[in-house]
Amino acid sequence: MAAPVSHKQSCWKAPEVFKHHEQRKICISRPKYREGRKAKAVKVYTINLESCYVMVQGVPAIGVMNELIQLCALYGTVEEYRPLDEYPAEEFTEVYLVKFQRLASARAAKRHMDEKSFYGGVLHVCYVPEYETVEDTRLKLQDRMKYIMKTLHYIAKEKRQMEDAAAETTSPNATLAPSEATTSKPSTTVTDNTEDLSSHEYSAFPLIPLPPREYPGCYRTNLPTEDKMGTLHNAIVDKRHSSDNMTSPNTPSDTFRDQQVPLQASVRFLPRTTQLENRKRLAEEGTEQSLKEATSQSEIFIGPKLPEQPKLDMEDESLNTTVKIIRDTLKQVESVAEVKPVVKKVKKRRRI
Amino acid sequence: MSRKGSAEGSDRFEYLQTLVTEFQDTDSEGASAGKSGKFSYDPKNYNHLRDLQVTDLFLDMLTEDNDNFVEFGMGGLCNLSMVPEFRDFILQNDGINLITNCLSKRNEETVLSAITTLMNLITINSRSEITQPGVLHCMLRFSLSESPRLRNLASVFLQDCCSEEQVAQAEKQMQGQQTALGIPLPKD
Repeated sequence: MAAPVSHKQSCWKAPEVFKHHEQRKICISRPKYREGRKAKAVKVYTINLESCYVMVQGVPAIGVMNELIQLCALYGTVEEYRPLDEYPAEEFTEVYLVKFQRLASARAAKRHMDEKSFYGGVLHVCYVPEYETVEDTRLKLQDRMKYIMKTLHYIAKEKRQMEDAAAETTSPNATLAPSEATTSKPSTTVTDNTEDLSSHEYSAFPLIPLPPREYPGCYRTNLPTEDKMGTLHNAIVDKRHSSDNMTSPNTPSDTFRDQQVPLQASVRFLPRTTQLENRKRLAEEGTEQSLKEATSQSEIFIGPKLPEQPKLDMEDESLNTTVKIIRDTLKQVESVAEVKPVVKKVKKRRRI
Repeated sequence: MSRKGSAEGSDRFEYLQTLVTEFQDTDSEGASAGKSGKFSYDPKNYNHLRDLQVTDLFLDMLTEDNDNFVEFGMGGLCNLSMVPEFRDFILQNDGINLITNCLSKRNEETVLSAITTLMNLITINSRSEITQPGVLHCMLRFSLSESPRLRNLASVFLQDCCSEEQVAQAEKQMQGQQTALGIPLPKD
């Protein structure tokens, strides 16, 4: 999504990627790319929003399907594709479903093709995980897990190498040759890994850029380092110190599992234990009745439930409105009846 | 769950927003990482996120009244829960209960994130709690949903995280209850 984002906006919109083509189904005449993307403050992105399946809208209906697929193929192997005739499309345009072999290819295609002009039209590309099969979803989740494990492993390895290099250079007995050898060795390893990573299917993952080169002696990879993270950390608290921190290397944490001192945040919040206690206290005060009811149930019900009946306040005067109206009406009727008593006509009996 | 002060929740949320925009500001032009708030999605950020105790923040957001906060927190946990360290932290902090509560939310993204997170949280010790009958019943209902994503995720859960006996038993129990019909499932 290439929409500019302003964090100053107070509203936070739900992700539009998923709603995106749902809206299209309802309203044919307004294609998504013309609706104007609303600037979203923050959107949380998960694996469930991505897919090997992408939908391409706005393809001019001039017989350029092959060209479109060739364009897609630039980003990775296309497994299947078909026109989505059942999908509403703007006049003179077509909609295509394209399945990439790899999620990274789909990601790259979306990034590069979305909002781009194509034979006089503007393409709109979005993920359509709805078209996945159960197996597709399973594979997607497994691939994601593998990627994360691999990346973390790589980051940990790089950290260890940096620590080794730092230890070597700070050692007073270290001669020049071994330290050079040490630093050069990891650099080649890292380069190899970088190449591996870049050629790996997940290279399409956007990488956070490094800070400007302050220390040319160190080798650099595409992955962010602790300095970068340190800079970011300090940037939250005080931006003026960020440049200072970039020049002095931060102490890297030893392992991924090290306990770090809690950092100062610009916003203070209660420690979790205090919050838990507060919640507990409030819950006990307010919901004793419902707790008793809950514990009487044999099984805890999880998941969406029927909407609860609105609870009636039996003391509320408004409940008696109808009754009052009826009573008043009856009184009125009685009072009218008194004015005009019904006179019964007595029929004389005929004596024969 | 008691009602949280909205000011407290907003503070935390603003803090997370600040985090996100920090990542955005430092992002390169070509990459779309920061612009879509992917800071919890990209594993290269995880060191930093660990330091900032972001997992704790995400967990806290699950008990907010504001559905947007819940969606955001649940999404963050979905991303982080694939990492063993974050996974363990979530499990140690009553994560399973907080997340199974999210299965009843009306927002579909929240529910999807919750299902995915539960799958990620499965360990030898946590499996029995995560595959409790209540959760299985819920997943069985989801597997009948009109929404393909919900159906698929629930199916993966039932197929990969539970034994066939567990699923069969849950199905049997559900037939008696007749609770699957008429209950509104999450919508967009």
